Amino acid sequence: MLNVLMLGVGQCGNRILDAINKEAFGGASRLSKYYSRQKFPSRVETIAINTAINDLKELRFTTAKDRLHVPNLHGVGANRNVGKQGFWDNREMIMEEIEKRGDFDVAFVMTSTSGGTGSSFSPLLIHELKERYKNISVIPIAVLPFREEGSIYLQNAAFSLRELMEVDAEGLILADNQYLKRCSGDIATAYDKINTMIAQRTLFLIESLDSEMLSVTDLGDFKTVMSGGLRMGTMGFSQADRKNPSVKSAIQNSLKPGSLLYPANVYDEAARAMVIIQGSREYLDVDEITKEIEKLCAGAGHVFKGLVIKKGYPKVLTLFTLASVPEIETLYAQAARAIHEEKDRKQRAKKQLSDAFAHIEDLEEIY
Amino acid sequence: MRLTYLMVLIVVILTSSQAKDSNNEVTFSDFTLYTGDSVEIASYTIQLVEVQSVRDGIVVIRATKSGGALDEQRALLQNNANSFDGGSENGGLTVTITDIFDDQSAKVRVEYPKDMGIPRKQTAESGSKGPGSQPVLAVEKSFDNDNPSVGSEVKVTVMVKNIGGGLAEDIVVDDQPPLANFVYIAGYPPKIKSQLDPGESDSAIYVIDAVKEGTVKVPPIEVRYSDSKKNTKSNESAPFNVVIAPKSMPDLDIKLNPSGSIPLGQAGRLNVSLYNSGKATAYKVEIKSEIEPSGGLDATDLDKSYFEIDPGAMESYSAELTGRSSGEYTVNLKVSYQDGNDVLLKEGSTTIVVLEREYKYLYYLLILPLLAVSAWLIKRYKEYKY
Ligand SMILES: Nc1nc2c(ncn2[C@@H]2O[C@H](COP(=O)(O)OP(=O)(O)OP(=O)(O)O)[C@@H](O)[C@H]2O)c(=O)[nH]1
Ligand SMILES: [Mg+2]
Repeated sequence: MLNVLMLGVGQCGNRILDAINKEAFGGASRLSKYYSRQKFPSRVETIAINTAINDLKELRFTTAKDRLHVPNLHGVGANRNVGKQGFWDNREMIMEEIEKRGDFDVAFVMTSTSGGTGSSFSPLLIHELKERYKNISVIPIAVLPFREEGSIYLQNAAFSLRELMEVDAEGLILADNQYLKRCSGDIATAYDKINTMIAQRTLFLIESLDSEMLSVTDLGDFKTVMSGGLRMGTMGFSQADRKNPSVKSAIQNSLKPGSLLYPANVYDEAARAMVIIQGSREYLDVDEITKEIEKLCAGAGHVFKGLVIKKGYPKVLTLFTLASVPEIETLYAQAARAIHEEKDRKQRAKKQLSDAFAHIEDLEEIY
Repeated sequence: MRLTYLMVLIVVILTSSQAKDSNNEVTFSDFTLYTGDSVEIASYTIQLVEVQSVRDGIVVIRATKSGGALDEQRALLQNNANSFDGGSENGGLTVTITDIFDDQSAKVRVEYPKDMGIPRKQTAESGSKGPGSQPVLAVEKSFDNDNPSVGSEVKVTVMVKNIGGGLAEDIVVDDQPPLANFVYIAGYPPKIKSQLDPGESDSAIYVIDAVKEGTVKVPPIEVRYSDSKKNTKSNESAPFNVVIAPKSMPDLDIKLNPSGSIPLGQAGRLNVSLYNSGKATAYKVEIKSEIEPSGGLDATDLDKSYFEIDPGAMESYSAELTGRSSGEYTVNLKVSYQDGNDVLLKEGSTTIVVLEREYKYLYYLLILPLLAVSAWLIKRYKEYKY
């Protein structure tokens, strides 16, 4: 059985973690924690880490002992330098809290790239995990900001994404708020929806990695996929239903833009992929599956296939790394522009003020 | 009745001689009149004819109204208000002899509506009147209780007095036969002397019992007599009304107030109260209990007796009930009491439930899962409370 560590850092990470805990209860109701038990496929430990205590209080499905407040900081106000300092000051405390929970084979670190706390803590945290756990695989799940959220968020996203790529992690899974915005009208529901999507996919992924059945994918396959291409990837998911139980359309649907967490043309841009199919035996037509996978193989370098026999209509998760990320480049261009503009604005303002002061340069107060 | 009148009058006299009661627009004036003197007010004249008896307090008054609408001679008992022409409340006059000084003079109170004006005293021209040599008999019939209730006794006084100047002979009083609302008990017919000298009087009393409620017009009594020349004369008393009230009876209301259902083998209380809502005292009140079905519910101190319960009074007591076997019981209380003659009966009842034995483990079956669920909920709540 896999030992899985899930860390949600910063408000965004905390809330995705809470969504995972909620999904583990069955996901249905606000009150499910009162009557239901969490069903994690593996041994899963979840910890929500934040500098803002209010963000931690907001959580509903994460136990109190799983909420770690990094003291003396009430949020870092999107300032990553303050965030980094905060992590260093509290490093031992944070790591102790994690190490208390035993050994881990794999860790998922969920964070926004654009806030202060999550984006600054996560690269440092991943580094620490790698130092302290010999054989751990660490996969960050990074959330990109809405592009209109402002220049600081854009610049944070640019720098923290680079740090996440530079740290010694097993690739990076992307989720893009901007891309997922179409999910729902207002911000709160959009967040909830996005978080639920990420939660479902992550739990499904763990379940299939931990399955002991034949012809399934394992952690090794997962790492191989993640190390492909630019080591950045994302996930797609689809669930067949009574009206259309065909596994073929389930696979196709899981690759459609609407099912992905980050915009990509999978057939053209995927570097390596992993397709995990779950469902009752009668729906899993091997010929159809093979045909679909072959289609994917034509573009992607290698495709791992996993089959999990479990009662129900087919569910398909596709995980892939990308060979090109035009969207990311656009983001960096935007960020650079924003940084320049910010710099200009600052200089202009500074000049204006010194011009103003110049008026009284040789003067003294007279009473 | 007379006593109350007297008291009211004394109080009125003490506070003021002029009534200030303008509500019913009636006022009064007091006059000291000698025989033959009169008081005039509006068109009325009230004349003191004579003081018939200082001892018995009887004064003869004549009331007239110009135009002849009223001409009435009446013997008035001292401190007895007499209405003329409907009385002062109804636009007439009310006359009361409040004091008798001697056989020539008396104090007379005249009550009259305020708007009549001011009464004036007229002194008699000396020698104009006065008892001549003719006999004049005044006759009066009075009840000692003008407001009896059914079953109560009334004394009727018949009084005849010679207020004239000559001997009255062959005196016969003619009282009406018994009235439908009364039965005559004793002394009827009243006997009066057959001769009366001037100034002499005679009276007789008989006793009757009121038997039927209602308003009764008491007919006048007639006296017939002759003078020395054998001229026959007669006179009549004034008629008056008597109201007979319904018989006053005690009436006991019984109320049973149980403390609630009684658990098997335990005791409860039953409060009993008796209220006399009648007009008479209830005597020899006895309460006897009956429990149906018998055997399953024990009661102590449920039977009780009281010597008397006055009208408007309430007695209550409390009995202990013990449940011997579960079920529904009817507690019946029979109250018997007397009003002097008759025995009266009343009943009251209530239902008492003796509960089945409670099997506690049945509760545990309910409570334990509830406790477990709450404990679980609290544990979960604490686990997630940050
Ligand atoms: N998908 C998703 N994105 C979120 C959610 N909450 C915040 N974000 C995004 O996260 C970014 C802000 O980062 P946060 O996680 O709130 O910031 P933080 O890490 O708590 O840092 P500070 O608040 O600055 O200390 C913005 O781009 C938001 O759009 C959420 O619940 N779901
Ligand atoms: Mg925050």
